[in-house]
Amino acid sequence: MYKKGVGEFKFYVGISSLAQIATKDDRVCVLNILGGESSDVTPVSHEYSGGNVVFGTSPGKGGSHMPTNLGDIPVYNNVLEGLADGHRFNAGVVYLPPAAARHGVGELIRVNPEMRKIFIVTEKIPAHDAREIRAMAQSNGVDIFGANSLGVADSWNHVRIGGALGGNTPEEALRKGSIALLSNSGNFTTTIATYLRMAGWGTTTLISSGKDVYIHYAAPEFAFALANDMRSKAAVLYVEPGGYYEWDAEFTKPVVACVVGRWKSRLTRAVGHAGAMAGGGDDAATKERWFMEKFGVEDAFTPDNPVCSRRGAVVTNIAHIPAALTAVMALNATMPDFAPEGSLALKPWFGRARDLELPPELDLPNVVAMPPYDQQIAELNRQIGAVLPRQSMKDASGVSQMDPLTQVSSLRGMSILQAAQHPMEDNLVLALLGRRASERDRALVDVAVGAHVNLTGTVTLAAVDAARAAGNTPNTVIAAALAIAGPGRAEASRHAIHGFIDLFTGSGLSVDDTETDLAAYPAPPELRALAIGADPDPIAEAMLAGLAERGVTSMPLRWLATQGGHPQVPGVVAAIAGTLVWKSLAHKEISRITAEELPWWLELFGTMIGAAAPTAAHTAEGFCGIPMAMVLGQASVTELAAAALLGERPSADILDGFAMLTGLLLTNGPGAITAQGAKGAVSADGPQTPERIQLNKAMIGFLTHAGYAHGGNGFEGIAFLLERFAGTGLVDPGDPAHGVDLDALAKEYAVAFAELKTTRKELGADRATIPCINHPVFKGKDVNVDPREEFVRTVMAQRGDYNVFHDYYRRLVVALRDAGATTNVFCVNVDALIATGLLKMLWSRYRDGSFTEAQLENAAFTVFLFGRMIGCAAEIDDHQNRGRNMDTRSPAKALSFVS
Amino acid sequence: MNLTGMLYGAKLLQFAGFPAAEVLGPAATEEEIKDLISRHGEILIKPVFKGGVGKKGKAGLIGRAKDLPTALREKERLYFAEHQVGTTLAKANGVTYEAMIPAEHEVYFSLTDSTHFRAPTMTITHHGGVAIEELDKSLVASVPFEALTGMRAFVVSNALSQLQAPSEIVSPLVQHLPSLWELFHEFGMTTLELNPIRMRADKRGRLTPVACDFKCAFDRDDPRVARLDLPRSLFSSSYSDFEHEVNQLRTYQGQSDVYVVNEKGTILAPTFGGGANSLVSEMLGDDAIISSDFGGNPPYVKMKELARICYKYWLPQTNVLFIIGGKANNTDIFETFRAMADALREHYATHGPTPLYAVIGRGGPNLIRGMGVLRDTFESLKIPYKMFGFDSDMSEVINYARAADAWMKASGREQIARQQQALAG
Repeated sequence: MYKKGVGEFKFYVGISSLAQIATKDDRVCVLNILGGESSDVTPVSHEYSGGNVVFGTSPGKGGSHMPTNLGDIPVYNNVLEGLADGHRFNAGVVYLPPAAARHGVGELIRVNPEMRKIFIVTEKIPAHDAREIRAMAQSNGVDIFGANSLGVADSWNHVRIGGALGGNTPEEALRKGSIALLSNSGNFTTTIATYLRMAGWGTTTLISSGKDVYIHYAAPEFAFALANDMRSKAAVLYVEPGGYYEWDAEFTKPVVACVVGRWKSRLTRAVGHAGAMAGGGDDAATKERWFMEKFGVEDAFTPDNPVCSRRGAVVTNIAHIPAALTAVMALNATMPDFAPEGSLALKPWFGRARDLELPPELDLPNVVAMPPYDQQIAELNRQIGAVLPRQSMKDASGVSQMDPLTQVSSLRGMSILQAAQHPMEDNLVLALLGRRASERDRALVDVAVGAHVNLTGTVTLAAVDAARAAGNTPNTVIAAALAIAGPGRAEASRHAIHGFIDLFTGSGLSVDDTETDLAAYPAPPELRALAIGADPDPIAEAMLAGLAERGVTSMPLRWLATQGGHPQVPGVVAAIAGTLVWKSLAHKEISRITAEELPWWLELFGTMIGAAAPTAAHTAEGFCGIPMAMVLGQASVTELAAAALLGERPSADILDGFAMLTGLLLTNGPGAITAQGAKGAVSADGPQTPERIQLNKAMIGFLTHAGYAHGGNGFEGIAFLLERFAGTGLVDPGDPAHGVDLDALAKEYAVAFAELKTTRKELGADRATIPCINHPVFKGKDVNVDPREEFVRTVMAQRGDYNVFHDYYRRLVVALRDAGATTNVFCVNVDALIATGLLKMLWSRYRDGSFTEAQLENAAFTVFLFGRMIGCAAEIDDHQNRGRNMDTRSPAKALSFVS
Repeated sequence: MNLTGMLYGAKLLQFAGFPAAEVLGPAATEEEIKDLISRHGEILIKPVFKGGVGKKGKAGLIGRAKDLPTALREKERLYFAEHQVGTTLAKANGVTYEAMIPAEHEVYFSLTDSTHFRAPTMTITHHGGVAIEELDKSLVASVPFEALTGMRAFVVSNALSQLQAPSEIVSPLVQHLPSLWELFHEFGMTTLELNPIRMRADKRGRLTPVACDFKCAFDRDDPRVARLDLPRSLFSSSYSDFEHEVNQLRTYQGQSDVYVVNEKGTILAPTFGGGANSLVSEMLGDDAIISSDFGGNPPYVKMKELARICYKYWLPQTNVLFIIGGKANNTDIFETFRAMADALREHYATHGPTPLYAVIGRGGPNLIRGMGVLRDTFESLKIPYKMFGFDSDMSEVINYARAADAWMKASGREQIARQQQALAG
């Protein structure tokens, strides 16, 4: 039962020419106009079409409007209300959910006698509803397009109805020409139109047919309307498996049919378009054959085998459509509509090979994108640095984590065991820039940090003195110094690096550039006022001399030298920081926030190291006896930190051990108390306004979250060892021929400890424990090993590095088992590494009386602070970049009240 | 979602009140089987396959028995039978015992939607019991009818007249067949096939159609299927764990059409758009791990979840992460790429880095912002990458991804792994 339409179809078809599908006269009503998809698409369609939507519906939202650049589109609760308000329309667009689509179509037909065309965008309409939609439309003389369609567009009429063909910039795809397009794929409708333009072909009417079992406007009626459309000289069909639509189509104009989906014949169930399954006689191979028979060709067209006839060509790859069309039309003595707009050659817009050895076919150079994308990319490149998504960073970290199995923590992907084999300056670069340091990186960090270690004549030194004199632990003493190193202190340097980044963003210059005339980049006034002065700045000059002595060159340093006048400290610091960050920033490995905070960080590290040193170590001439020229020209951060600990320049043999200690102490993951203190301080400042984060205060947060139990406890092991080795006459703990009978020493203590343990047990007192042995995870085996201790022991053995205290501990755990004090051989844990390493380093000083037990305790605490300073800086930077305001709060339900 | 066999077919036919051969399931006792044989004289033993499997008779997978020992032998032979149809290997798990219905007439009947007529269409012949495609077209009637009216008695009657069917079968078929329309239309089917329907004579010679085999396909987008309350496990065999997890996200917005192409593949290609999906699947062949269509403007949360699942299952074995689509009409590239980038960051954070080469080909709204997000992510995760706009031939972009995969297999994976190890220490 169907109304008689045009042509000799077995069903109703109302469209006699493609030119009638989307016309300037069509007036459109959109169902569910305020839905998610329609909200994006309808305004663009409306504007592209010169304002063809008369109203939309959205139940419960009647009276509202959809704003567009051509004025508001009124919204009614239902179609009847819109009609009652005097609106008339002949085309309906359905954006309803699948369960409602059938009823929406029914309503459009029922209440509007002028209804002629309905475009259904909705996907996944049940076949049941599609059957009934078909029946309703057929008996009422309405053409349906879709469902599961992206609608139609007409490049001649400049009209788009019922979908998003051409996306949010339809003109980019829809250029007036002579080719009609029918496609099972909405996306490929636009993609093919774009490809055609490259080869000089424009379009007439474009139809996204949909790909459900019921394709309401399909190939047979398209072929009929194509024949009657004077504008269309040929057509392109994009065809997927499923259905006999194309078999029934009779084309009278040339056609290029792109048939894809042979792979689907291997499948055993419906996937994607048209739900095609194997063996239905309507698979891709069969459809290719249908078209070959229609066109009188024996094979598919490819560039290598350009098989075609005047009637058409079959392709199996959409990229071959333009060439096939041009070939077919040439046989019809028809030239393209306009000059080709481009080529489809591979054009990478972005790419990076990361120094990999790529074969030539992969190592394609990036090219400038076509307009307007080239401008957008240029704009994007001006947004230098990475931007990380913000989230709650409570108990979370993007830089550190602990492996629960091995208990080994890592910082920015590097395990602390590996980090322990690198000097502090390497780990500083790792913490803030996330990469392994180069020679230049080390030199730059050494100079920038070194410039701040000497506190002579500053209020900071006075504050440190006062804090120390008041009996504070080292963390509190250092915190006093940091309180003074507030935002104001680093402001000039931070502004300078900001100006520098602004100046060179988009320049494309490499940090290693040696050829560009950098005088062509004069500092803007604000930057110049900070970076260049009329008079020499002795500190800036000393820093530059230090850099020169270390042989450091870079584009930023070269630039500073071209600016004339006298470089000032902010300028030098900006050049140093600029050199450090430039590549990482350009490659989006760090954020601009991190880059601009770097000068402050370097100052804070210098201040902390300086504050840890005795007051007497600060003189006008140098730091810990190291002349300032040497501090800036030769010394490493590791050397300066070790010097702060010792009060004098350390010997080379001490440095490796010292670096190992600080490396092992870098981090214990975001759950460590120190990390929590640092993160809490960032959270309280509000990382969503990152420039307000007070880095010095955040470091104070870390410091206040260290104490006698966390950080200060490193001395317990040392005290234990001092007691054990008192009276042994040990001279050199690094000499394997030390002459001490370690087994006897261990056995003696083990027996005594077994007795003590028994006594305490009988008394019901707390269990007796020995510092630095046993671990809650590495226990329960006959012989237990802390993998971290094992790793370091192996590295030391490879270096030929002996430590008698470590050796003693190893023998002690066996002796304890033999004496029955423990049930098995306990592990020597990671804390032992700190205690034994530090005691070995300071043993001779202790023996000759120049280092007291109190100083040893102070040193043990300080070395912890030096290690953790680096890890907490990474944590603070991470939280500043990723966190949300006050995100470390605990929810009320997680709290408990204890009475 | 296909169903074959009388085990469930007989139950479904009850909804339509359509007579069906008596059937016992795999759990039938010897006494029950013996009783069935004694009442019907002969029984058929058929293997139970999940999903839709045809041509069992030709493959010798239908046993017949007139006594219990034969029935049990056939049960043993068929219980775990394997059946290859095209590229699909089906494995049985159980057998049914079905009463043999003696009859002079065998009828073929099916209901489906014809793309030729673009209407629901009944196909019928009284020369049933054989594969329909083997019959001469003049012996078969295919009759479209209007969905709102439904398949009524006159549709059946007209078809049988056209076929000049024996008069004794016309009336019983006209009487019983229309009820199948309700079963087909109201329970979300897209195909229903009964072959054969055997015309059983009663004592007075009056014929009753009895369905002796059953096939149907359900529309997975039709909630009416749920009315039948069929066990989910009936259809679950066709989905892998990965597909099942993705299917949990299935909504009317799409994005859940995934298929595992090769569990040992090395290119993970989240694909946008059915067209791109076809092209990519065809060109990648067995190098592809999955075939997918995530187009249709997925919201951020859903896209991130889809990406998370993809990465969870496949990233460790992946050489090339290949995000590919045409020039999107409505899909927000920024939102989808941001979601995939964030999921990738989270995967790396949880599982550590894996050697990967990223290839992107895309066009559409907010393209550059989207590519920018991916670029930043690849940079920070130290993943090598190439991104192509929509002005590059998509098939060449696919070839580029294949070349990248070949290089990764040859030496690239090792090179990237070495870089990652160097960073880790």
